[in-house]
Amino acid sequence: MNLVASFARRLLAAGLILLVASVLLFAALRVLPVDPAGMSIPPAATPAEIEEARRQMGFDRALPAQYAIWLGHMLSGDFGRSVHLGRPVASLLAEAVPATVELALLAMAIAGILGLSGGLLLFVLRAEGGRGEAGEAIAETGTVLLMSVPAFLWALLFILVFGVVLEALPFTGRLDADLARPVVTGFLLLDTLLVADTAAFLSAMRHMVLPAFALGIAVAPPVMRVLGASLIDVYHSDYIRQARLRGLSETRVLLGHALRNAALPTLSVLGRHFAFLLGGSLLVEVIFSYPGMGSLMLDAVRNADLPVIQAVGLTYCAVVLAVNTVVGGLYLGLSPRPMPG
Amino acid sequence: MSWVWRWLFPRWLRSGRVMIGLALVLPVLVLAALAPLVAPHDPQAQDLMLTLQPVRLGSPFPLGTDVLGRCVLSRLLHGASLALWVAVMASLGAMLLGTALAYAAGYLGGWVDWVIGRAVDVWMSFPPVVLSLILMVGLGTGSTSVILAITLVDWTRFCRVMRAEVMLVARCEHVAAARLLGLSHWRTLLREVVPATIPLLVTLLALEMGIAVVVEAILSFVGMGVRPDQVAWGQMIADGRDALYQAPANLLAPVAAIIVTVAGFNLLGDGLRRTLDVRLVEGAR
Repeated sequence: MNLVASFARRLLAAGLILLVASVLLFAALRVLPVDPAGMSIPPAATPAEIEEARRQMGFDRALPAQYAIWLGHMLSGDFGRSVHLGRPVASLLAEAVPATVELALLAMAIAGILGLSGGLLLFVLRAEGGRGEAGEAIAETGTVLLMSVPAFLWALLFILVFGVVLEALPFTGRLDADLARPVVTGFLLLDTLLVADTAAFLSAMRHMVLPAFALGIAVAPPVMRVLGASLIDVYHSDYIRQARLRGLSETRVLLGHALRNAALPTLSVLGRHFAFLLGGSLLVEVIFSYPGMGSLMLDAVRNADLPVIQAVGLTYCAVVLAVNTVVGGLYLGLSPRPMPG
Repeated sequence: MSWVWRWLFPRWLRSGRVMIGLALVLPVLVLAALAPLVAPHDPQAQDLMLTLQPVRLGSPFPLGTDVLGRCVLSRLLHGASLALWVAVMASLGAMLLGTALAYAAGYLGGWVDWVIGRAVDVWMSFPPVVLSLILMVGLGTGSTSVILAITLVDWTRFCRVMRAEVMLVARCEHVAAARLLGLSHWRTLLREVVPATIPLLVTLLALEMGIAVVVEAILSFVGMGVRPDQVAWGQMIADGRDALYQAPANLLAPVAAIIVTVAGFNLLGDGLRRTLDVRLVEGAR
């Protein structure tokens, strides 16, 4: 009961944050020196026609009233129409969001696996039986160096090595040109599995290897560090000594007992770094011509396409809040300790 | 003699990571400052007869030329000036804004702390890249806009961590003693709280410099950063990407420059965290 109430409170807080974010986004984009009404009608329009368009779009009213109208539209599912592409923003988002979510989830999984193995490696290097201080210095310097390469540079290096030099993997788009795209849910990986189209599924996976690894490898180092540190903390607790006294092997103590408890702080780090991962995905999508929210956003930003910028910006915000809420809930659910408050 | 040694190598310097970090960052800083003097060519001078020259040390174009026949080395050096100028100014800006709010939140507590804490929550719900792109739409391109955008996005990095630190320090006895002695809030803050938080501030500043270099590169890469007539590493990467097959050095040179600079700042920050004995829990609120 306590758990449900706590989760509900987090959900409510996330909703309020989203609301405030929408106010900020709206205000920030209203001070722009561009006129969406002027851009949405033919250049030959008379001043009177421009004025008419401005009134229709509500630009002659006070800012709070404009915000209320805009929020009402957003809540009723009407995200407006792209000035640049001439299509409803809702349908643009319906195509872009699943692509980004698939990429981000795959990248999170990769970051988790890399973080787990790296964290164990860090711990082994640091452990008393290992190389001691020298091992620790090498391990820490290594993770700092890994942290110094942002996702978009990994993406470019991967393209150079695996795409251009080795010609091992594709690095543009989502599917080979000769394959048809099945549409069931909008999630490409899921759809190809649902219609049992193995060729398309494998092609889609091959297209996602480089972008997902570029994103995952950039988020993995903090995960490694936190896992390594929390393993060291866990090893000071009594139950590890107990397990050793019971005669369990060191490997079983590490993998069976210590890792389970050290995984909890790691999970929350992964959740907190999701915003960075999503931000990184924007650039990675652009570099790999991957048709997700990032490509849509950058296109809109370059063309000052306000309805798209507002809707995609808010969607990014909603995705981050949703993931943080879910990870927070998982943390609460898995945590053996009583929670404060 | 030992005082000479101590003066030359104070405690905070005695760490491999700090030394390596400085060894990477200082040359970049010097080259950035002297770029107009040491660059062999005008970074914007085009020579359409000599496009996409390969890397050949000792030639007039040691790192080759780009698709317009511009000297890659000269562009790299001028790009360094811009990158570090933006990094220094933006980090200082983010530090001033973030720590001012952190001191207010941590020291005053109450509703001030609540409001600032919720503002941080709202900011953190945006991916930083998305927020800076949106700000650049409003601010327009140019290095001042980039500095402003990074400041307005990254103040939360300072605010989150510093607030917790200020709260710890503010509970210390010497702060209470200062208040009992009749010092005003302002003087207590300046004389008792601020000095205790300087080590953390220095550490965060070094890390933020690396982040600012990356953000500036990202914004220039997508064409939403500096103006087209300014030379930036991100722009060089975007140009180099189009010449990937003919002259990979066009791409690799700025990529390597970013990685070396960022690694230098990160090693410096990480080493300082150790030698200055800062409790910096990663990502802690």
